[in-house]
Amino acid sequence: MSRRNVLTHGLASIAGLTGTLAGSKTALASLAPRKQHRRWGMVIDLDRCTACGACVVACRQENNVPTIQSTQDTRAAQIEWMSQVWREPTERGGTPEMLPFPCQHCQNAPCVKVCPVGATYKDDEGVTAQIWDRCIGCRYCMVACPYARRFFNWVEPSWEGSLVQLLNPDVGTRPGGVVEKCTFCQHRLQDLKERAAVEGRALLDSELQRLPACASACPARAITFGDLEDPSSTASEQARSPRVFRLLGDLGTEPNVLYLKRDRRL
Amino acid sequence: MDDADDVVQLPRANAAWYGLLLCALVLLGVGGFCFAWQTQRGLITTGLRNPGYGGAAWGLYIAFDVIFSGVSFAGIVLTAVCRVFSIQALRPITRMAPLMSIIAIMAGGGTVVADLGRPIDGLMKLPYLARASSPFYGTFTMVASGYLFSSVVYFILDGRADAARLATTTRPPLSLLYRLWGAGYRDTLDERLRHQRATLWLSLGIIPLLFMATSTLGFVFGIQVGRPGWYSALQAPAFIAMAGLAGTGMLVLLAVTARKFFAAPIPDATIGWLGNTLCVLAFICLYFTIVDELTVGYGGPAVDRAVIHEIVAGHFAVFFWGFVASLIATLFIPLVLYIRGRVSVGWIGVAAAFATFAAANKRLLIVVPSQTHGSLIALGTGNYAPSWVEFGVTGGLIGIAMLMAVLAVRVIPLVPRVPVSDGRKSMRPQFEWRRSAATLGTIVVALCVGAIGLADSFRLFSGRELDSKIPFGPSLCALGIMMLFASAGIYELFPGRVSEKRI
Repeated sequence: MSRRNVLTHGLASIAGLTGTLAGSKTALASLAPRKQHRRWGMVIDLDRCTACGACVVACRQENNVPTIQSTQDTRAAQIEWMSQVWREPTERGGTPEMLPFPCQHCQNAPCVKVCPVGATYKDDEGVTAQIWDRCIGCRYCMVACPYARRFFNWVEPSWEGSLVQLLNPDVGTRPGGVVEKCTFCQHRLQDLKERAAVEGRALLDSELQRLPACASACPARAITFGDLEDPSSTASEQARSPRVFRLLGDLGTEPNVLYLKRDRRL
Repeated sequence: MDDADDVVQLPRANAAWYGLLLCALVLLGVGGFCFAWQTQRGLITTGLRNPGYGGAAWGLYIAFDVIFSGVSFAGIVLTAVCRVFSIQALRPITRMAPLMSIIAIMAGGGTVVADLGRPIDGLMKLPYLARASSPFYGTFTMVASGYLFSSVVYFILDGRADAARLATTTRPPLSLLYRLWGAGYRDTLDERLRHQRATLWLSLGIIPLLFMATSTLGFVFGIQVGRPGWYSALQAPAFIAMAGLAGTGMLVLLAVTARKFFAAPIPDATIGWLGNTLCVLAFICLYFTIVDELTVGYGGPAVDRAVIHEIVAGHFAVFFWGFVASLIATLFIPLVLYIRGRVSVGWIGVAAAFATFAAANKRLLIVVPSQTHGSLIALGTGNYAPSWVEFGVTGGLIGIAMLMAVLAVRVIPLVPRVPVSDGRKSMRPQFEWRRSAATLGTIVVALCVGAIGLADSFRLFSGRELDSKIPFGPSLCALGIMMLFASAGIYELFPGRVSEKRI
């Protein structure tokens, strides 16, 4: 066989193989269900919030957030997926305000960029997800997060006595030495998606609004969850309110958690 | 008479050697106990806590990781600079310097392991999960493989002549080590010329790559927009300058110790050169400090100014002014000696001690205040103070480094006997196409492997997948870097013609 023949046949084979692969990829893509672009987000109305703390308790209970004995030494080692933060008043004569404070699920998340092993990542629906078992405990995400919304298990978590029976079986407990954070109650979302799929229907905004534990526990209905890309969702409507603001909005992290407040100088 | 004809002698075990050995073993024992304590009870035994709540997630371990890495950087870069510019005065420390680099980077790796929440998982997952988008990636690849491997290759190649001589004058089992190390070395003219060429090209590769590697350490802090006090374009160059200062200081201390206790033939001129280097580096570090503090303190955002205030006049003022005072002492002691035209080994040793102290302070000032007082949303107040466990583990790692150095003193000739080669000499080794092809092939393969590994670490082949496409893809990048440095070894060690005449 001449050199020209070898080259011709070789190139033809490569072209054929590429075409076949491209074709099969296209065929597979056509079989897959069309993905609807979603961006889960949360809108917290501070004008409605009564600072009762129900969201904090519900989150802790729902997600098996461990507690360590509180002493002066361990105060800064506590884990709080949802916190309440006191904010100083922005106007003369005003009173300090309470800010429900979950992970901000930033679209441009600094924690995701710095994770050396991909233990934290942005999923297809805008959630900053965390794979507990992949985390090596370097805590780079903690120092990179401008909101301080990531927590390290400084000890091996334990639930003594009958407290074990209070654990939520839908959420795994995390081992010592890993970082954990709010997941927007992914397990609830997944459960809802599966139920909707079985019933052959789309997700309803009404069932999404109070889906996360914090939102469902809020007596003042100050927390609304939903798809921020869906213009008809309540969360999306609220996100277009003139009262809306983002925490550290000029930092460029683009959080998916938005706040509503009449005085936006907060 | 050629220095190469001198008999290579190793120092005997004297009281100082036994004292240092005992000290290293005690530190190692304490460190081992503390690490076991920490592993058993978790990182709650350290002073580290959640940042934003007044704690610091990184502390003494990361500060010492940066110090050790800096020392490692300076050791091998000084050696490379000495080779490239044929600085005869620095030749006596070109054995100790890469050795110091090897030991320091191993100790630095130890600090990272001690800092991880799940150290075993870290060691197992990083080789196949590491992502290039993380500034840590540079530490895992370029710093670990680059510093370590370039130092090892230089150290081995440069020590072959001495090892071959020692193989004939020592008894087993040590002679076996020297025979292996100096295997094939026949001291021919061509062999010497090849060595000159190999170390020159190796040095030319070391300088830019290791500058890049140290910059990635600076990026670990410098590109964090959400951490006031860290976000600065000055971090990377300041890291390089401070690494140089820390490493040169440590090298002077080691050289002075080796001279005093082990009769290492290091001339005053060498110490004088290192003293002058300390002076220049101290000036650069001082300049960076003034520029950085002034820029942020004068017109920076309020949170950044708050961090600067804490550093200059708050909780960390003692460390800051200690750092500044040490830096000034490091600058002026060699400067005064230079102006007076004399070399005082003792005073340069003092300046080196100040340099090391300044570097340790600066590393703590970089790592800690931005976490304890630099939160954009402060949820609590507090401070970071290392616990006894952290001190113990860090001491243990220093003990390991000390132990390696103490053992090396008895096994490795600390000062090379062959003068530094002049890279500008017109004499060239005979061309052998097989040797050249093997070297060039290694370089090409190294570049390809490194590039593929890097691309895979950026997940360029993975689509939307989280993992890399190639098994252990991220490790390929490190392998590429190692192969690149190994090419110098291939060039020098490739079997050649046996008819070459001995000198």
